[in-house]
Amino acid sequence: MTSFYILTKKEYVQMFREFKLIWLPLVFMFLGATQPVVTYYLPSILAALGGNQGITIDPAMTQQDGAQVMAATLGSQFDQLGIMVIVIAMMGIIQSDKANGMLDFILTRPVTVGSYIGGKIFSNFLFVALSVTFGYFVSFVYAHFLFSHMPFLDMIFAIIFYLLWVLFIIAFTTMVSTIFNGQGVIALISIVSLLVLKILSGLHPIMDLLNPAGMSQQAMLVLITGSVDSYLYGNMLITFIWIALMVMVSHYWISGKKYHKD
Amino acid sequence: MKLEIKNVTKRFNTKTAVNNFSMVVETGQCVGLIGPNGAGKSTLIKIISDILNADNGEVLLDGKKISKMKNEMGYLPQYPDFFHWMTAKETLFFMGQLSGISKEKLLNEVPAILTKVGLFNEQNEKVQTFSGGMKQRLGIAQTLLHKPSFIIMDEPVSALDPIGRREVLNLIQEIKQETTILLSTHILGDAEEICERFVIMKQGTKIEDTTIEKLLKRYNDSVVHFEMASPSRHWVQPIEKLPYVKNVEVIGKRAKVTLDNIQENKDMLIRNVMENNVDIVRFEVGSTDTLEEIFLKMVVSV
Repeated sequence: MTSFYILTKKEYVQMFREFKLIWLPLVFMFLGATQPVVTYYLPSILAALGGNQGITIDPAMTQQDGAQVMAATLGSQFDQLGIMVIVIAMMGIIQSDKANGMLDFILTRPVTVGSYIGGKIFSNFLFVALSVTFGYFVSFVYAHFLFSHMPFLDMIFAIIFYLLWVLFIIAFTTMVSTIFNGQGVIALISIVSLLVLKILSGLHPIMDLLNPAGMSQQAMLVLITGSVDSYLYGNMLITFIWIALMVMVSHYWISGKKYHKD
Repeated sequence: MKLEIKNVTKRFNTKTAVNNFSMVVETGQCVGLIGPNGAGKSTLIKIISDILNADNGEVLLDGKKISKMKNEMGYLPQYPDFFHWMTAKETLFFMGQLSGISKEKLLNEVPAILTKVGLFNEQNEKVQTFSGGMKQRLGIAQTLLHKPSFIIMDEPVSALDPIGRREVLNLIQEIKQETTILLSTHILGDAEEICERFVIMKQGTKIEDTTIEKLLKRYNDSVVHFEMASPSRHWVQPIEKLPYVKNVEVIGKRAKVTLDNIQENKDMLIRNVMENNVDIVRFEVGSTDTLEEIFLKMVVSV
């Protein structure tokens, strides 16, 4: 049994004991359901609350198809509240081990820094990816029944692109959690940086190429248009490079023993 | 396992925590690392256990870099803390597996070691319910689990109550038979009890490396004590001026005089003291200095 396997297993036991294994998928399922349901009932909600005076809704505006609703789930639910939830769930990923001395302890055993970080990122990514996929699937079910059907393959491609952005979110939060010591600071830096990346995406194609949040943009594009743009592969490659860089920084930080407070 | 520490230096910003520290611990030895708070003991221990990197120098275990010999080493931090959501048993399984011990082997060894440290009845309780002493004992269990040939402990008993202290000291006595031990402490009585050899640190530097017998001998040799019928100090000045007297200390009725050579000077001293009209009721050669007093003297005066 390798230490990678043991550390990964430990992460899952911890998630189970801390009920993360239950609440994170539930949050994403809830987020996934929100977009189609709210969009569908928006006219009736506005009619009920707003009365007849003032606002009138052009019925054509709300005639979205299922794919657009799904894209909106990714863009305005997962990429906003979703990012915050992921960061808050992950902010202690390395920091809590630093705080209670377990990191020191683990590293006095014959465990490589690589298998420690690898186990952390692998286990947490797999879990968050599953939660996001559950939420995505719930969104699909609602969009399918309340709006229109969409090509299954596009949907699969979209979630794969989106999960690459999720992997970046995890790698970034892990790096911040390795370098900084306060949970508040970690959450603030991660959430602000990731939201800024998200806001910057879609402004300019070249900037998107370098921006990992461009993967989220690509996912929405596949859903809405059914085709990918020419920047996709470049964007994918550069996102992978970013992720590798984040992991290397974390690795360097821990193996260089720079994480000690004194 | 022979441990060699060669010219280790560690600086934090401008403060030098460990300054050019060298020492060799031979197989089977038990060495006490003693020093006041802030002397750099913990930093040195963290460097030896490869938790911190030294700025200069290296630590070798049997001639090999310590980072390559982790399975031969057991480390007990000053305040061992584990995952709060794990039980004692799970903690040992987790740490044991990380050390590369198979599950089948752990099934036998974990209960045995829990019994040894007296946590067998608490094995299925979560670490968050544990007291400091219980965590310390779990830490010791963890240290011994993979049967290291070299154990390093940072203040293993300082945070414990007298009962816990006794238990842990007995445990260490037991381990001592088969392993090389390096432990730090600022409670000298403990070190005196388990270790033969002492290394005293002050401000990051090694100021003494000796055994307890030598230390006591050195500081006891030339001291006489006497007790007077009533407290008086008028004789102190003339006695202090005598060529063979190094130092005079008076506390109440008791006086302590340090001499150049006890055999040659003690009669002379009595004569001289008598001449100064001191009513001596008791006279004693040799000192009752404990390690504690010696330690204070060294750390404060050097």
